[in-house]
Amino acid sequence: MRSFLATMVCFLTAVTMTAQEVTLTVDAPESAVAGQQFRIVYTVNSTDGQFTPPKFDPSFSVSGPQQSTSRNVQWINGEVNSVSTTTLIYYVVAGTPGTFTIPPAKFEAKKFTVSSVERQIVISPEGSVQSQGQGQGQDQTSGQGQTSGQGQASQTAAQESGVSLRLLLSTRDVYVGQPITGTLKLFTRTNLSGINELKYPDFKGFLREDIETPPLRSLESEVIDGVQYGTGVLQRFVLYPQISGDVRVDPVEMTAMIQQRSNVRDPFFDDPFFDTFFSGVSTVPQQVATQPVTIKVRPLPTPRPADFHGAVGSFDLSSSLSANAAQVNDAITLTVTLKGTGNLNLAGEPVINFPQGIEKYDPKVTVKSSGTSSGSKTFEYLLIPRNNGTFDIPPVSYSVFDPLQEKYVTLRTEGYSITVTGTPGQAETTAPLFLPGEDVKYIGQDIRFIRNGSSKLMVPLAPLVSRAYYWSWFALALFITAVVLLFRREQLKRNADVTGVRNRKAGKNARRRLAKASSLLSSGKTELVNSEIARALWGYLGDKLAIPQSELTREKCYDSLRARKTGEDLITELDLILSATEYSQYAPRSEGESPAGLYRRAVILVGRIDNILN
Amino acid sequence: MQRAIVICTILILSLSGTVAQTPQERYSQAGELYGSGDFSGAAAIYQKLYEEGFRSRDLLYNAGNAFFKTGDNASAILFYERARLVAPADEDIDYNLQIARSRVTDRFETVPQLFFVRWFDFLALLASTNIWAVTAIAMFVAAMLFAVIFLTFARARGRLLSFWLAVAALLLSVLTVSLALRNNSLVNNNSKAVVTCSIVTGRSAPGDNGSELFVIHSGTAVTVEQELGDFLEVRLPDGNKGWIRVDCMEKI
Repeated sequence: MRSFLATMVCFLTAVTMTAQEVTLTVDAPESAVAGQQFRIVYTVNSTDGQFTPPKFDPSFSVSGPQQSTSRNVQWINGEVNSVSTTTLIYYVVAGTPGTFTIPPAKFEAKKFTVSSVERQIVISPEGSVQSQGQGQGQDQTSGQGQTSGQGQASQTAAQESGVSLRLLLSTRDVYVGQPITGTLKLFTRTNLSGINELKYPDFKGFLREDIETPPLRSLESEVIDGVQYGTGVLQRFVLYPQISGDVRVDPVEMTAMIQQRSNVRDPFFDDPFFDTFFSGVSTVPQQVATQPVTIKVRPLPTPRPADFHGAVGSFDLSSSLSANAAQVNDAITLTVTLKGTGNLNLAGEPVINFPQGIEKYDPKVTVKSSGTSSGSKTFEYLLIPRNNGTFDIPPVSYSVFDPLQEKYVTLRTEGYSITVTGTPGQAETTAPLFLPGEDVKYIGQDIRFIRNGSSKLMVPLAPLVSRAYYWSWFALALFITAVVLLFRREQLKRNADVTGVRNRKAGKNARRRLAKASSLLSSGKTELVNSEIARALWGYLGDKLAIPQSELTREKCYDSLRARKTGEDLITELDLILSATEYSQYAPRSEGESPAGLYRRAVILVGRIDNILN
Repeated sequence: MQRAIVICTILILSLSGTVAQTPQERYSQAGELYGSGDFSGAAAIYQKLYEEGFRSRDLLYNAGNAFFKTGDNASAILFYERARLVAPADEDIDYNLQIARSRVTDRFETVPQLFFVRWFDFLALLASTNIWAVTAIAMFVAAMLFAVIFLTFARARGRLLSFWLAVAALLLSVLTVSLALRNNSLVNNNSKAVVTCSIVTGRSAPGDNGSELFVIHSGTAVTVEQELGDFLEVRLPDGNKGWIRVDCMEKI
């Protein structure tokens, strides 16, 4: 069948070459394995037109086309013949087994449209070894004689090739976040022409970070169990486990292009020399996969320190400050560097409690990694002090989990003290102030001038109220008052007693003296009677009116009597008697009233006063 | 001998040049410095005089002005507040204090005091503590005298008058004693303080470990509630309380 087709193609090509007709040919395998790539090649002997690809089956995943044009100029018997050819190559991977039809493709030129033929393709299920000589690679020119034997050759090659892919992991027992270095290494015993479709699984539960690996150019020789292998590192990467538990790493798959010397000799060039250039070597694709690996990921122990921010590994922490002294609004940089081996990329920034009054910006984070998971991570904090004073930047405390020691290690840096000088916010305060709604424009605002008047400076005395003796003054005043009142009261009491006695005995005394006067009268000593009467009256008045003897005058007595409302006639009578007694002392007895009459009147008067005052 | 006399004279002269400057002269000198623009020099002299114990309304007012001009707003407010305790109704002091306060970062909604408290404080500050104290004593003695008169001269004509005078004098004495006490608590045992640090954090507990409650800036006047070690518990004008380092505060 194939040979027939090839003959057809040759024939058709020959026809087009001569007739200069535009043809569209398709080259596709009759069968393929699901999941493996095969090619569909369209060739058109024109460059002037529009190619429309066919509608591929939805289960096909198609990539391409890879378009190329070529120009062929021939001189045949002096006749120039120029042919342009466009080749479009589609790479197809069939998803499901079955028989599929590839509809015709079209090529539209200006005047005409050509179509390719419809093709049938059988896709066999994956796994069944059906390596077919599909004419891939460089064997387009090898002709059809080779294709018949290729199927068998590749089949044997797949079994004996000894191509294997291994995923080498630095460790399989880690903590969450602890980096694992993975190396994808190829082992082969045969020559490989190349590697196709290196397919990584999604590494569920891990964060993968590729390490820059030089492209594989040549294989190194390595002897394992007495067998020589060619080995080469395809890719190196670091895995950071994100979840704990037994995490499975799915196999890494790839297609190795196995280079195989063809068993079939070329019918035309039967010479070993040409073998290397022409059809002696064929390439066979082969699926290779690594073994699935299970990694035991242990969770980080709890409790976690408050200053743990996800860093797992062995680290050192250092810090530096750009300046210890600054002006207000001048920037200062605090650099915190985490250095060591571990998941540097996942290490969060340390929490630093910067003092109030310093404006802090989000840190600039730089990671410098030296190939693998070791390196340094730098956090640069830009600080702008907005107030003056001395500010303490506290020591940075940063906990990391060290998988080797299997415990949290707290790293610390030293604290810093920043001295900030200058005046904060000076720019804002100089703005002039305008009061609205005023005719007078106030340009500025300032305090009033000092007072230089003769202010008397003095050191004030200590406050009296805080001294105990001050309060004793009140007590003293109260005491003195009490003493004075008591004294006065005592005196009054005593006086009251004396006058009371005198008052009570006044009448009695008066009557006694008057009795004496009466006896003097009866004994004839009349010149003494008047003075006795006067003494009786004065004594009586002094006692009764509580007037001391020294102050006893007629006016005082009269005032006192008037104050007691004794009546004016009584006072007149008293005055008369007193005048009479005084007069009789200096005048002869013939004149004035007789002593006996005076005595009677005095007795009556005393009785009357006694009646009134008692 | 002659040389000794010369040395003695020089010594005396030099001493008199430096030491014999009276406080009053230094006060005048500070005023001249202020007038010529050397505010920090003036402020230093005023401050020195204040620390030596000298007080007068103008000294405190001028000190506040000098500090204001040097840019030390907190000290300016401090001295204006002190001046206001000496002269409560001085318009210049109030005006300058208001300007100084307008430059304080912190703004508070202050609750005004009850009017009678305000009046009473104003009255109490009209005279010094000791004047009120002496007046109180005088009033008390007068009250006692009138009481003695009332009680002793039972029949004297001014008996009723002396009774009312005694009552009035006693009431006045009670009033002036309370004014003296109030003045003393306002002026001498002042619980108010001014923040002198540019910025200071109020914490929930005395010590550097208390959680941070608020941040106040220089010039803010607060009320000191209690003192514990290096920390003061202060009450902000809006009523919030917190602990602040004592070296960031200056009592009025």
